[in-house]
Amino acid sequence: MSAPELVTVTIDERSVQVPKGTGIVETAAAAGIEIPVFCYEPRLGAAVGACRMCLVEVEGMPPKPQAGCTLFAQDGMVVKTARTSEMARVAQNATLEFILVNHPLDCPVCDKGGECPLQDLTFRYGPGNTRMTFDKRTFEKPIPISPAISIDRERCILCYRCTRFSESVSEDNQLVAVNRGAQTMIATFEDEPYTGAFTGNVTELCPVGALLPTQPRFEIRPWEFQAVPSVCGLCPVGCNIDVDQREGKIKRILSRNHPEVDEGWLCDKGRFGFSHLYAEDRITDPLRRVRSRGLEEISWEDALDDAERLLREANGRIAVALSGSETTEDAYALAKLVRKGLGAHTAMLPEEIGGGLDAFRAPLSAIRDAELIVVLGEDPVVERAPIVDLWLRKARRAGAEIVEIGPAGDVQIAPGTTARACRKLKSGELGDRLRASERAILIWSGGGAGGGSHLAALATDLGFADKPGCGAFFLPETANGRGVAEAWAAASDDEGPEPEPLGLLIVSGDEAAANPNVRALAEQAERVLAITMFHSLAVGWADLVLPGTSYLEREGTYVNVEGRIQRLRRTAIPPAPDELAWIAQLASRFEVELSPSPSLVFAELSERVFGGVTYEDLGEEARLPDRVPLEAAPAESADEPVPAKAPGGTLQLLRYRPLFSGAAVERVPELQFQRPAPEIELSVKDAKRLGVRRGEPVSVRSNGTSVQLRAAINKRLKAGVARIADDHARDLHPTVEVSK
Amino acid sequence: MADVIVLANADERDLRQLAEYRAVGGYTQLERVRSLEPAAIIDELNTANLRGRGGAFFPSGRKMQFIPPKEQIPKPHYVCVNADESEPGTFKDREIMNRVPHRLIEGSLIAAHAIDSQHVFIYIRGEYLDAFETLRTALDDARGAGLFNGVTVVLHRGAGAYICGEESGLLESLEGKRGQARSRPPFPAASGLYASPTLINNVETIATIPKILELGGAEYAKIGAPPDSTGTRLFCLSGNVVKGGNYELPMGITIREVIYDLGGGIPDGRALKAVIPGGSSMPILTADQIDVPLEHDALRALDTFLGAAAVIVVDDRACMVQLGLRVAQFYMHESCGKCTPCREGTRWMVQLLEAIEAGDATHSQLDLLLDVCDRILGKCLCPLGDAAAMPVASYVVKFRDEFRAHVDQGGCPFGGESSLEGLFAPVDQHTHHPVAEVPA
Repeated sequence: MSAPELVTVTIDERSVQVPKGTGIVETAAAAGIEIPVFCYEPRLGAAVGACRMCLVEVEGMPPKPQAGCTLFAQDGMVVKTARTSEMARVAQNATLEFILVNHPLDCPVCDKGGECPLQDLTFRYGPGNTRMTFDKRTFEKPIPISPAISIDRERCILCYRCTRFSESVSEDNQLVAVNRGAQTMIATFEDEPYTGAFTGNVTELCPVGALLPTQPRFEIRPWEFQAVPSVCGLCPVGCNIDVDQREGKIKRILSRNHPEVDEGWLCDKGRFGFSHLYAEDRITDPLRRVRSRGLEEISWEDALDDAERLLREANGRIAVALSGSETTEDAYALAKLVRKGLGAHTAMLPEEIGGGLDAFRAPLSAIRDAELIVVLGEDPVVERAPIVDLWLRKARRAGAEIVEIGPAGDVQIAPGTTARACRKLKSGELGDRLRASERAILIWSGGGAGGGSHLAALATDLGFADKPGCGAFFLPETANGRGVAEAWAAASDDEGPEPEPLGLLIVSGDEAAANPNVRALAEQAERVLAITMFHSLAVGWADLVLPGTSYLEREGTYVNVEGRIQRLRRTAIPPAPDELAWIAQLASRFEVELSPSPSLVFAELSERVFGGVTYEDLGEEARLPDRVPLEAAPAESADEPVPAKAPGGTLQLLRYRPLFSGAAVERVPELQFQRPAPEIELSVKDAKRLGVRRGEPVSVRSNGTSVQLRAAINKRLKAGVARIADDHARDLHPTVEVSK
Repeated sequence: MADVIVLANADERDLRQLAEYRAVGGYTQLERVRSLEPAAIIDELNTANLRGRGGAFFPSGRKMQFIPPKEQIPKPHYVCVNADESEPGTFKDREIMNRVPHRLIEGSLIAAHAIDSQHVFIYIRGEYLDAFETLRTALDDARGAGLFNGVTVVLHRGAGAYICGEESGLLESLEGKRGQARSRPPFPAASGLYASPTLINNVETIATIPKILELGGAEYAKIGAPPDSTGTRLFCLSGNVVKGGNYELPMGITIREVIYDLGGGIPDGRALKAVIPGGSSMPILTADQIDVPLEHDALRALDTFLGAAAVIVVDDRACMVQLGLRVAQFYMHESCGKCTPCREGTRWMVQLLEAIEAGDATHSQLDLLLDVCDRILGKCLCPLGDAAAMPVASYVVKFRDEFRAHVDQGGCPFGGESSLEGLFAPVDQHTHHPVAEVPA
């Protein structure tokens, strides 16, 4: 790309050079001058010029103040802000006076106080007193627009940031303005709760205390908060976050804009999920199973003795079930302990990601810049990696073509045939266009093991390795599945036999503890050692329970969907020592050298798998490692067996794990309304055949199991397939019968 | 009357009938110009110096020239006819649509040809049921007669919002969105309806086009008050006058002539107090200023505008505070709520005027009212805020003593005697329930 043409603009007598077309607000900022704004937010699309806070004087334009946010830099432009123009000063002062005439001025009790743009701009540009002597406009307040967010319409200054977010970022169109003029107010359409993956972002966009999270109501004193920069650990995107805590307790999570990863957006799970740390069934002390009395609390000394005994008695017949939510360092420590110390090399890893994708590494923001995107797979992207859904929407708005290939896609394929569809893309019209494009992206979202290897083979064939604008993403199921797998592999080069019979199963983390396959394996194990945060995941099967900690309580690193290594910080004090601390102690009893310090463990690990990058290199805004060229064509996994076609009259069940599910979400009251409704998605054809209409109750049966669900019609779903969230599919078999 | 253009022949014949309209030369201009280059039409309009009749007085030919060619923006081009006549005091477009609907249709189709457009939208005020029905019938007749030549014409009813008469609010509404003004640039000529090049004009402007082409631009430009105020206007005479109604007259006629020679003067021997020359949003003129000719430059010299040419006559019974309150209430009610000064300022104006009328205000609040008006003026997203601030400020300035008397006497000096009869209707009468059958 050629360098953009530079133009010279004069702002308040200061000359500044910027690329032609730069917004005047940004141009002024480049000159070190503030043009104050409320409604302007470039991430929400074109400027709307609604609030009139940014009024400036522009030479050569009509002799009235102009909205700076709607203007673009042109050569020779002369702009005067409130600093040098009486016209602009009066206009900005007027805007603030008008905003404040009906504002309640309840700053002392407002949760926004102290970090409120309205407070700040009033201080800098507003009138010092009020000339308003009449009754202020009042509204009923606060009103919950959902269990997670409440609105105070008296504080609202109608900047329309929230409605614009809803309309043109998340594209859910649920937030709307109702009534007119001075009676205008923000509401949800038809007063339904504001539901969706991204609703919480409006609380951060709101420039006043109108839209606030319900979680810490009347508890936010921003100047008392300590913000800890960290990374969200609830999905593979790894959104950058600021965790606000007071007295060691987390009060809220805000976005910390990483322009390549999240662009400053968070999903509601990441934003509101933190309160699971304070769940009633949180385990704070080690627990030992005592015959007939269940679990009893024991001291850490006894717990480490117990753990040592369990490890020794198993005599190497040990398997480890990992969650993919461990830090890379924790996983490495555990792996080193059992592999080096005990010669046990059997692990259940969260999922196989497949090598080779690092040759096509790209930032997630490359999706936005793409012209052609193919999304393969069986899971909705938003359920796996929600922010990727926002990047896709942004790409589509910018004119990109997005082709979804899956059981509910533009190209409908049967469940279990994604690998085949992936291979087909090497030829054909779409494949040719992918090959010809300099800005094409491939995404694999669920549906069978080995997706990463299929994707790597395709990307190799399409020549993506030589095109920096082209990339391939495999969306893993877990937040750090990739780092955990690397850590396991790095701990030892040895291999060992499958333990038979299984002496000890180590269950690491809540996802593993909730996994039915892990539970099944535990049936065969003589002993079970579980590391989990919650009682209900420990009861009934573990002989020894060691308290788990959360991603918000640990130091360490996660490797995200892009392959970006990001640092987690301890943002809250855990109720128990973190995993690395006691694993290191235990390791010393088996003559395994292991530091309890995450940075030292990382240094050891990095030498082996991350090319020696240091902890300090990662920084607070981690950069994406360079592409790793492929040395040989990637080995493609064998295709998964294609499920048998459902016999006549029955439907193939397509399950998916919803975003709003799992141990954390289950423990956050404000997120319960977000969990999937008890629905079965049917294709138009099947619904017609069954005579079922939207919302009607249906019975779904397989092999003696029966579930009552409501019918939903999905126009994009392939005929013969029914989709149900895991929460509701429960024990149903892959082939189901549906009837009214 | 020699200089009747828009309503020509409408007194003698029922021009709602297609045959009657054709009998007076209707649609011959359309058929003639279809073989001409669009530039030829635009040249003719520029020669005529036709200006926008909706109130902004922008040169219509130049507006067409702003539409980029299809090679530059390869999207559909649109013509939008603004028939959402809502300014209190105006009722001219209604008369045009009721009496010469085919002239409007012919003008629209000519405009479409002039900008290489295949799509015309007519956005008609929801309350105008009679005009809607008339126009719908006329459209059916013209379509049936094969006059559209591939152009689609959509007649769209508004739902009762003044802001949808503002061009960008109209476009939002037409797209099915909330009626709110858009920030400009981009202007409709480059990115209007569905983000495509759009020509948007008032009914009267469009309905003038066929006659300009018939007469020739040069001939038309001789009518009225050249060089700027050429041609005729439909003056909407209302208020305290004997014979109110629409009068199509050449621009340049004085207010005095309109009120006394044509309108029959003030009823019941009362005295003239003031005149609003262009519609409720225009600054007021006092009784001693009525010798001003009704044309753009002369009115500008008196700090007011011809606007939509609605001449509203105010007699000596009217309390100017009450009149200001009624105007401010209207604009508060109609403010779309998008930009701050209009949304908050109009409400504050109403509160101040209520306090003044009730005798609860102080002298300093008269200055505050002027300052509030000043803080709205020129700072809003669209002209609606100005439309409230300009007239009310003019009432305070020109009738300062009357405002002061409200403060000094602790109430309205007119007592219960003031009457706004025949002037603007109170806001509660603006609310309406359109019941027309909506065409499929």
